[in-house]
Amino acid sequence: MTDTRKLPHGGVNPPNDSNISRTAPIANALVPSRAVIPLLQHAGTPARCVVQQGDKVSEGMLIGKAEGALSANVHSSIPGTVVAVTGITLPGGVASQAVVIDLEGEFGKSGKPRQPRAWEGASRIELLGRIQSAGVVGLGGSRMPTHLKLASAPGSPVALLVANGIDGEPGLSADFALLREKTAEIAEALRICRALLEPQRIVLALGEDARELAGAFEEACATSKLACDIAILPSTYPQGHEQIVLGSIGVKGAPGRSVILNVATLHAVYEAVVLDRPLIERVVTVAGAPVARPRNLKVRLGTRLGDLFEECGGLLAAPGKIVIGGPMRGVAVSSLDIPVTKGTSGVTVFDESAARTRTEWPCIRCGACVEVCPWDLFPTRLYKLVRQGSLAAADREGLSRCTECGCCAFACPSHIPLVAVFHEGKKALAGGGNG
Amino acid sequence: MEPARLVLSSAPHLGMRSSSARMAWLVAAGLAPAAAWGIFLFGVPAAIVLCVSVGAALLAELLSSFFLKKLTITDGSAFLTGLLVGLFMSPSTPLYVPAAASAFAILVVKQSFGGLGRNWMNPAMGGVLFALLSWPGSTSRWTGAFAARNAAALPPLVALRQALPSPTGGAPLSVLAASGYRWSDLDARVIAWINTHVFAGLGTALQPGTFDMLIGRTPGPIGALSVPLLLVGAAFLLRRKIIRWRVPVFFLSAFFFLTLALGGIASGGSWLSGGPGFHLFAGSIVLGALFAASDPVTSPLSSRGQIIFGISLGVLAFVMRFFGSLGDGVAVAIVLGNCVVPLIDSRFDGRATALSRGRRE
Repeated sequence: MTDTRKLPHGGVNPPNDSNISRTAPIANALVPSRAVIPLLQHAGTPARCVVQQGDKVSEGMLIGKAEGALSANVHSSIPGTVVAVTGITLPGGVASQAVVIDLEGEFGKSGKPRQPRAWEGASRIELLGRIQSAGVVGLGGSRMPTHLKLASAPGSPVALLVANGIDGEPGLSADFALLREKTAEIAEALRICRALLEPQRIVLALGEDARELAGAFEEACATSKLACDIAILPSTYPQGHEQIVLGSIGVKGAPGRSVILNVATLHAVYEAVVLDRPLIERVVTVAGAPVARPRNLKVRLGTRLGDLFEECGGLLAAPGKIVIGGPMRGVAVSSLDIPVTKGTSGVTVFDESAARTRTEWPCIRCGACVEVCPWDLFPTRLYKLVRQGSLAAADREGLSRCTECGCCAFACPSHIPLVAVFHEGKKALAGGGNG
Repeated sequence: MEPARLVLSSAPHLGMRSSSARMAWLVAAGLAPAAAWGIFLFGVPAAIVLCVSVGAALLAELLSSFFLKKLTITDGSAFLTGLLVGLFMSPSTPLYVPAAASAFAILVVKQSFGGLGRNWMNPAMGGVLFALLSWPGSTSRWTGAFAARNAAALPPLVALRQALPSPTGGAPLSVLAASGYRWSDLDARVIAWINTHVFAGLGTALQPGTFDMLIGRTPGPIGALSVPLLLVGAAFLLRRKIIRWRVPVFFLSAFFFLTLALGGIASGGSWLSGGPGFHLFAGSIVLGALFAASDPVTSPLSSRGQIIFGISLGVLAFVMRFFGSLGDGVAVAIVLGNCVVPLIDSRFDGRATALSRGRRE
């Protein structure tokens, strides 16, 4: 069954000028000569480093062991020698230890076809163990360890399992490309999740602009005997946000929790369970006007942005701003040495004119921000409250429900940095603040 | 390879091409057709009134920039305010009236309360109201200088007021006809032609003056005459999402239905004989609704608030037109409405109220 639904409220349609053809295949990036692999590539505590300088590592070898809450394993993405274990700064200013590996010796292990492993007879513990040890985390941006999401909790049945096939931002198409090329694998991953969660209903969420993938996916489901509905949702941003996807699909019938997994995460689950491959590469959209050949690339984790741009024919113009992610939520970085991590779904480059800060005008109460807020907030009032330092009042008005999707700041004709202020306000609230 | 300097700014990295400053210029562009029509009808005197009101507004803005040490003249809002003030004026008004109105609008209403985005009443409407209070009648003063192009020497609305209470009663156009109000010769010819060729067979007839009223060939405020041209300008702004539809639509609808129902009684007639069409096309209500009431700064944020605001404006404009003495009542209605916006906002603005209520329950 395919049905089409509407965004509950708000949203924007920013221009998508990524210039990536919807039919262009995912290109394989060269294995980088040096990989910088942060030990913090997930939501919680950094993994504990289990290698040291001078160690020889093979491809897929464990280099960081999950430790503490919401932690995940980290593996070497290339064979070689550990040249350093050093502190680096991740996008957004988060500090992390990183293992620097120089390529050496035999590689291409992942290039050889692997014998699929039977999983249908395996126990839940065994399946979750495979996913956990492979270091699979939410690749859509949440970076939550996936085995935790897939663990069934007694007394809390799963009503709905959703595969989120909508790319998180306009301009990013990594999930679309992956779903198009790995349809059968993703369907198989849904079967694995079905075995783990026993949901009452499984739905694949697709954007309107990805309608053409529905047919192939239905076929894949029929082949693997998976009962999965397809929901076509509008391409209005931020339709890909998990909560909005769930809200749009709606939970009918019996109560229970909903679990939503990004298609890239599902693909990683497939690789972990069926192919016994740890998460050492992912698909990254590289886009933006200065990029010579914007494309979707399959990239080893730890590949530096500079190498990524080389894969795309280099940059035609001097970049003014480089962001990890897409144009609406991406985090600006200051160096081309920043590595691709598990959470990197895209890299967007802006030329100097697009990077220029625009003049800020006073709020003219035009209400554009109110109109586009998907969470029914009044950004203009929240902005005044946060600016005044009235964090408690801002909290009452729903500041904590702000997901920093960027719609309000995008729509603001006065170019007021609403999201930046909300981000600071939320940080102050979380840290105690004066609220 | 390492770029010299990468900008580090927070998301989103895209924004609207338009800006608040550009919006003011675009609103001014939306007023251009109606302003051009006013200049076409009244000639040089109208152009001079507009130049004086715009010039005074710009000078006042420069003067306040000097005190505030912030040059804001490029944001277009002073130009727009001056233009709007001028469009509400009669072309035969003494020139100190638009000059003073514009200066008051900028210096007192706009800048004293913090400039763009902070004013609690529409500056142009504040200026017009100031002129109405200071020099009563001057904004609708008619010297009869335009009798050559316009047979009528008085704006229809002013003539109607003078003709009431009418011994014959009836709709505004009949009252005017009975009082001997003269429309243009062109109107007479067009109405006669339509009545013979179209309406004769239907057993009905158009009132004289219908044509003049529809296209705006009457004396009146410079920018308020041609409703079709005002609608053209507003449609352009609506399409570009620069003005929002709720306030004007609910404003004009409320005014229309009140006038339809009660306008006749107010002028000594019966129910449902108010001539709402006449009252929409006469005076400056369409100009005010489309270009002054729709000012986002002085209207509520939420859509429900905008609806309530629009309806309130319609009620106020009706009361002020039929029972007030300040011109056609539009400017005073809008200013009064602006004053209650904070009240409307505090009730409807935001789920804040809903949220805190939800928590208490």
